[in-house]
Amino acid sequence: MARLTTTDLQTIRERVRKENLFRSHRKSTAGKGHALNLTGSYRAHILVCGGTACHASGSKALHQTLVEQVEARGLAREVKVVESGCNGFCAAGPIMVVYPGGIFYQKVTADDVQEIIAQHIIRGKPLRKLMYRDPASGKIIPHMSAIPFFGSQKLIALKNRSLIDAEQIDEYIGRDGYRAVAKVLTDMKPDEIIEEVKRSGLRGRGGGGFPTGLKWQFARSAAGPVKYILCNADEGDPGAFMDRSILEADAHAVLEGMIIGGYTIGAHEGYIYCRAEYPLAIKRLTIAIDQAKEYGLLGDNILGSGYSLNISVYQGAGAFVCGEETALMASIEGRRGMPRPRPPFPAHQGLWEKPSVLNNVETYSCIPQIILEGGSWFSSFGTGGSKGTKVFALTGAVNNVGLVEVPMGTPIGNIIFDIGGGICGDKNFKAAQLGGPSGGCIPASALNTLTDYEEIVKQGAIMGSGGLIVMDEHTCMVDTARFFMEFCQEESCGKCTPCREGTKRMLEILTRICKGQGRPGDIELLEEMAPYIKDNALCGLGQTAPNPVLSTLRYFRQEYEDHIFEKKCSACVCSALFKSPCQHACPIGMDVPGYIALVRAKRLDDAYRLLKKTNPFPAVCGRVCPQFCVPNCRRGQLDEPMAIAWLKRYVTDNGQLPVEAPAPITRKERIAVIGAGPAGLTAARDLVLRGYRVTIFEELPQAGGMMRYAIPAYRLPRATLDREIEGIRALGVEIITGTRVGKDREFARIRSEHDCVVLAIGAHRSWTLDIEGETLAGVEGAAEFLRRVNLHENKLTIGKRVAVIGGGNSAVDAARTARRLGATEVTILYRRERKDMPAWQHEIEAALHEGIVIDYLVAPTKLSGSNGTLAAIECTRMKLGEFDRTGRRRPVPVAGSEFTLAVDLVIPAISQSPDTSFIPADAGIKVSKGGTFERAARSHTRSTAEGIFICGDAVSGPATVVEAIRTGHQAAQDVDEHIRAKNNERPYKEPAEENIDIPFEVDEQPVEQPKARMRELSAAEREGNFNEVELGYAAKTAFKEACRCLRCDAELEG
Amino acid sequence: MIGNQDLLLGEVVCYHKRHTVHYQLREDVVAIQLEQARSELAQFSQEELSQVDGIISRNRGKPGALIPVLEQVQSTIGYLPVSIQMRIAQGLNIPPSNVYGVVTFYSFFTMVPRGRHNIRVCLGTACYVRGGQKILNKLSDMLGIDPGGCTDDRRFSLETVRCLGACGLAPVKVINNDTHGQLKVSRLDGILAKYQ
Repeated sequence: MARLTTTDLQTIRERVRKENLFRSHRKSTAGKGHALNLTGSYRAHILVCGGTACHASGSKALHQTLVEQVEARGLAREVKVVESGCNGFCAAGPIMVVYPGGIFYQKVTADDVQEIIAQHIIRGKPLRKLMYRDPASGKIIPHMSAIPFFGSQKLIALKNRSLIDAEQIDEYIGRDGYRAVAKVLTDMKPDEIIEEVKRSGLRGRGGGGFPTGLKWQFARSAAGPVKYILCNADEGDPGAFMDRSILEADAHAVLEGMIIGGYTIGAHEGYIYCRAEYPLAIKRLTIAIDQAKEYGLLGDNILGSGYSLNISVYQGAGAFVCGEETALMASIEGRRGMPRPRPPFPAHQGLWEKPSVLNNVETYSCIPQIILEGGSWFSSFGTGGSKGTKVFALTGAVNNVGLVEVPMGTPIGNIIFDIGGGICGDKNFKAAQLGGPSGGCIPASALNTLTDYEEIVKQGAIMGSGGLIVMDEHTCMVDTARFFMEFCQEESCGKCTPCREGTKRMLEILTRICKGQGRPGDIELLEEMAPYIKDNALCGLGQTAPNPVLSTLRYFRQEYEDHIFEKKCSACVCSALFKSPCQHACPIGMDVPGYIALVRAKRLDDAYRLLKKTNPFPAVCGRVCPQFCVPNCRRGQLDEPMAIAWLKRYVTDNGQLPVEAPAPITRKERIAVIGAGPAGLTAARDLVLRGYRVTIFEELPQAGGMMRYAIPAYRLPRATLDREIEGIRALGVEIITGTRVGKDREFARIRSEHDCVVLAIGAHRSWTLDIEGETLAGVEGAAEFLRRVNLHENKLTIGKRVAVIGGGNSAVDAARTARRLGATEVTILYRRERKDMPAWQHEIEAALHEGIVIDYLVAPTKLSGSNGTLAAIECTRMKLGEFDRTGRRRPVPVAGSEFTLAVDLVIPAISQSPDTSFIPADAGIKVSKGGTFERAARSHTRSTAEGIFICGDAVSGPATVVEAIRTGHQAAQDVDEHIRAKNNERPYKEPAEENIDIPFEVDEQPVEQPKARMRELSAAEREGNFNEVELGYAAKTAFKEACRCLRCDAELEG
Repeated sequence: MIGNQDLLLGEVVCYHKRHTVHYQLREDVVAIQLEQARSELAQFSQEELSQVDGIISRNRGKPGALIPVLEQVQSTIGYLPVSIQMRIAQGLNIPPSNVYGVVTFYSFFTMVPRGRHNIRVCLGTACYVRGGQKILNKLSDMLGIDPGGCTDDRRFSLETVRCLGACGLAPVKVINNDTHGQLKVSRLDGILAKYQ
């Protein structure tokens, strides 16, 4: 091949453009092939993604098979098969795009090739089964540009991705390749180029963010005939693969950028320092350089301009620190990759002490377009300080893992949720790590942060090279900080003391914390060391190593404190802190593997006694618990998590209920508990077992609280509840029902007649919607409605048309109850989307199964009626706007979308507050703005008044039975400690617990099987009654399910 | 000074200046080291050694050639024991301490043999978040070696890497040049069986 002139370039460009005309990211152009069936040109192009990730998924075999079959069918002259570079949508690989049309195929295997050729290529019928299906709508999206992952991106650095053969220079030229070099060498002076780059506002994309134009200017003005133009392709950040993808897909873009840079500063030698872990990138770079040399686009006298530049690839050898500019240069010089102090800066004294410019791969790949389109074009994207676009490697717990390029100024939440498709497995977003081990995390409250260098720094993170790792609730932030510090420690070159010693000490502290050996003062020590290391380390590695620690402390300090003081890892990651994750995650620490083992051993009576050790209401929890244990169950990594609550229920349905005898009264103090819900009953039980005289005052006719007066009977039969409450009475607790404190008894008198009072009044007062018409008859909060229904023992007449406002369990309970009371049109109106509903999945499914309609993205605006009675509810449609502090999008009304529903009953179910009106103002018991009791400082259950303790929903707001039980246990302990401390007595000594021997039996080789299903009443069988819907496990089913337990609590002896 | 032998064993290179240091060693210690070096070299064939010499001579005189030479030599003979390092030092006219310093600095270079099939398990962030540590532990159990080690039959060696850049397929490991992604503990047996 001859050396090219600019005219030759043009010729090639026009020829290839015509050949590849219908390869385009834009749908309109992508279809243009049909009209252009020029003789000798291909009628279809098939591009197979040939990036490293797709290779690993088998795209090489796919490509090979495709080539062979196209040949075998005699289509080799009509169908062009091309291996392109990384497509970016790694989650869907191996990827194939067919033009004309830009039809996107995902997860293609070599076995699909026959059908693709037969159906799509020959018969013209694209294959639906290989197309992308949008998870939200369920619809098929055939065209790549219409898929949300791609549609929201703006490609500049990735302009050519998946459109060209990665190993054919002509294809690069066909897309305006080397036109910028031609322009620069024939038409522009170095100062003009610098001006253009400055005008673009381009800042170093490797993470430093230094203005590129300025850097080139410094190097240009440095004296000397020998200068170097260098490319940092070391990309050592774990979680970053932007540069790899550019090099594998479009190596020439980098070369072109380097030629322009080299010409600008006056360099005639260039190096690309590429890490050895990227063999494919090195291969494609080498091919690209060779092809460019053959065309005379590298080497002597490029395009006849007189300018010469030679570029070589220098392979790294596995040292993260060599991504730092002075360390990189030391490495090229054949030395240990240790940084040196600056000044002198590389622009004046760099490689071999000559002026050098080192820029990142992504930075270079933007340069050609800046030259062709102009700096102003580039700066038309982005924010004031951060211009252009940025490529991110979006990985971790997102659905759409891959490579994305967005304009600067895009909110990070948009990248994660709109492009990334949200968190996989319906988990919750916890944090996103930006900038790798040098960066920090962005929590849910900061999802509106714009991608902007300075904005991100304000949040305590850095833009970095573009690694964006999404973490869900199963990530422990302390462990994450430890992980990054371990990385920095290993990669520290050792030259400077702050980094070498500092990272080691910080790592020691973090490791101890994760092992359960954290000490008071550890956090303060980390915070003391961090700024010292940041200020004094020699290079960026040390200077940024403390960042992940500082960032996680800023947003997740509670997790550190939990690890140190409570020895608790709520993500159940730091396994040194617990035996089995299920027990650790349970608010009351139930011995889950223990009772499951007893089910397996068919010792149900023993199992029931084991349950009662920690839980006074196991029959209730077995039916209504949200199961904090289940998401952490390790069986879930194999097939499905254990059905823990259902096994608990099986025990309580079939095992012998332990008989309680009256507890001996050994103390003279009297304790009053106000409220006979799960919190109050648990506190009372514990206190009576410690020998106190306990009286519970309950307003309603029967004890049970929310368990009786909110949770409907079809979820929790009353007989079951009665049995468990009876167990507490049998211990000797006096329960006085039908007595409202403040009306039937004075609070002050109760206070004076008892040594301590425990307030466990729950949260039974519904929040109001605060819209017009709320006082009309026919509007009743969910808590009040359910209470009324239960007071009437489910015999109540209501209207036919019911609307429930809200998305939590109360809303679903109210809706399913209304249905059973005869309402024919029951609608739940929720202001967000289904995935945002706090109600449990199986409750939502049950509601839908029972014929309840759920309308999403709706909010009520007005209630109207006549004669004081409700007749209709006016609503507006909502759309989702910016993120709120919980990381969910805030709904905003859509103008002009109002509509009206005729209704007989509206049930607001948006939350509840406690009714604290009975507390005298001078009692000294502080109540928060939201209506809940405030705790005394550094206390779990003390109120702000002496001798008054608080627990349950009255403190936390609406929560769950198991959490109420936990606070009830805590309250009893705090009351007892308080009394003993006052009397200078020794602390309470727990009597020896009954030892229940737990057998150890585990399947040697677990066989994958899903969890045992629960039998239920059919929809027809549920109508008009409150019979329990879930029917419980049969003995064989329970046994089979119990055998699935992996016994994570097992420990090796010795 | 014991005996009359006085060996120049290396030059300490500071950043800007060169200091030449003479080490004084006992003869018997030196003799043992020379014997070790000789037996180390003996395990390489003549052909391998001449390939090494070829790499050295092609790169002699090129500035900064040490790392590429080490990479090429290691891919030829598998690892870089001290004796080979000395050979390279002599051939490139670089102090042995420099060569040793570079070999021990970069994680790619190894002074102990690697297996026929080198398994590199990625423990980069995305892989870690998706269970990379478990994969490593299981492999370590299955092969009976720790990361950094090599099986007795020299079939497999195991090490960890930080980020192979295939984060879209986390968790990932590379065996020789094959990338294996979306790993599950249950699939490991099948994958290893392909590498004899």
